[in-house]
Amino acid sequence: MGLKEKFILNFIEDSRWKYITEGLGTTFIVTIFAIILGVALGFLIAVVRSTADKTEGHKGIVLRFLDLICRVYLTVIRGTPAMIQLLIMYYIIFTSPNVSKRVVAILTFGFNSAAYVAEIIRSGIMSIDNGQFEAGRSLGMNYVQTMIYIITPQAFRNILPALANEFITLLKETSICGYIALTDITHGANVIRSQTYEPMLPLLGAALIYLTVVSVMSMGVTRLERRLRNDR
Amino acid sequence: MIDKEQVLFEIEDLKKDFEDIQVLKGISTKIYKGEVVVIIGPSGSGKSTFLRSLNLLEHPTGGRITFEGRDITDPSTDINLYRQKIGMVFQHFNLFPHKTILENLTLAPIKVLGKKREDAEKLGREMLARVGLEEKADAYPSQLSGGQKQRVAIVRSLCMEPDVILFDEPTSALDPEMVGEVLEVMKELAHQGMTMIVVTHEMGFAREVGTRVMFVDEGLIKEENTPEEFFGNPSNPRLQDFLAKVL
Repeated sequence: MGLKEKFILNFIEDSRWKYITEGLGTTFIVTIFAIILGVALGFLIAVVRSTADKTEGHKGIVLRFLDLICRVYLTVIRGTPAMIQLLIMYYIIFTSPNVSKRVVAILTFGFNSAAYVAEIIRSGIMSIDNGQFEAGRSLGMNYVQTMIYIITPQAFRNILPALANEFITLLKETSICGYIALTDITHGANVIRSQTYEPMLPLLGAALIYLTVVSVMSMGVTRLERRLRNDR
Repeated sequence: MIDKEQVLFEIEDLKKDFEDIQVLKGISTKIYKGEVVVIIGPSGSGKSTFLRSLNLLEHPTGGRITFEGRDITDPSTDINLYRQKIGMVFQHFNLFPHKTILENLTLAPIKVLGKKREDAEKLGREMLARVGLEEKADAYPSQLSGGQKQRVAIVRSLCMEPDVILFDEPTSALDPEMVGEVLEVMKELAHQGMTMIVVTHEMGFAREVGTRVMFVDEGLIKEENTPEEFFGNPSNPRLQDFLAKVL
């Protein structure tokens, strides 16, 4: 069987290409919403953790409690494989069949990514010279204003490469969606393989798609970095 | 120019401990409107800590600071309201590197005082012109020399129209040839009647511009006097020793 026939068998016959396009859609949706959830939650954790780190001497009981919760969260999430988290989420937490698998995947990867994003953002906040903070406060800005207008924009620039790296990792990590029978790119390609007994084209095709998406993401980040650097 | 009727700061028995080291051991003094108080002393004497306590960048562990009649060390005081009126200039400038010079000047007036952008920018440009930096409005801090940065930092605090400005060793991080331009701006401010509290090693500035000079050593004010008496007739032996070394 020539390459052309293999291509037709794997992608054209029985509209098998639909496994790939459907999978691509799922991969995108899961990745994008997981990033949004991860950044939002990660930012909150980072603010709690760095506020606790910066507060010298007497910390309020609320702050200490929140800090403890965040520490436990980080330890648990970073200490267990994403696949186990996905399976726990699917088989133990969301046992109802009415919950969409995509939602389960988004929540799993979002909560997972939040732990890594939190540590990245925290390192960014801590990397900003304390003088910046004092300058903001001495002008009468409150803690939140100082964080929003002075610390976060500078921290963001510093952590952009690490953050982009995390998003790329997240995109590739969604390839375990197949374990809860959710058709992402990887699972779609695998289904085709199991039907045609022709592993090469589906798997190489899936790899090529990941590579293309990651390359586009990297290019976007490089561009953003360059634009932010001009501001200096 | 000094208005003895109007007390800006009343400091009573101010103490500050870091862990088990007592940096301030009970400082008491009053600062009147229009004064230029210059604080000198050896390094580690507590003079910077004292200055930074005045806008609560350092939280005192004892004593009281009253600013314009309000006890700002009282936990129920919203310190942000009072910091608006207390400008601060830092040794390392602490300009915001991700913002243009004009944005550095207008950020707090817009966000804190609620000024309109046009009004804040107009004031910012006027103030920049006064220190000869109007053409730098759209530059970023990294494009400025140290002396220019510090002049911008002074203007940034002025844009909040404060009642007093604290200077924490404003020329110590500058190359020698840039010290003059910054002192010139500060002198100008003093002549316009701005109340200033200045921690510095510039004895010439203290002598020429100061209305009162304070010697802080071992966490206490050991001597304070007019510049003439302070430099001409020092009584504290530690001060005599210090002056002999720096003059």
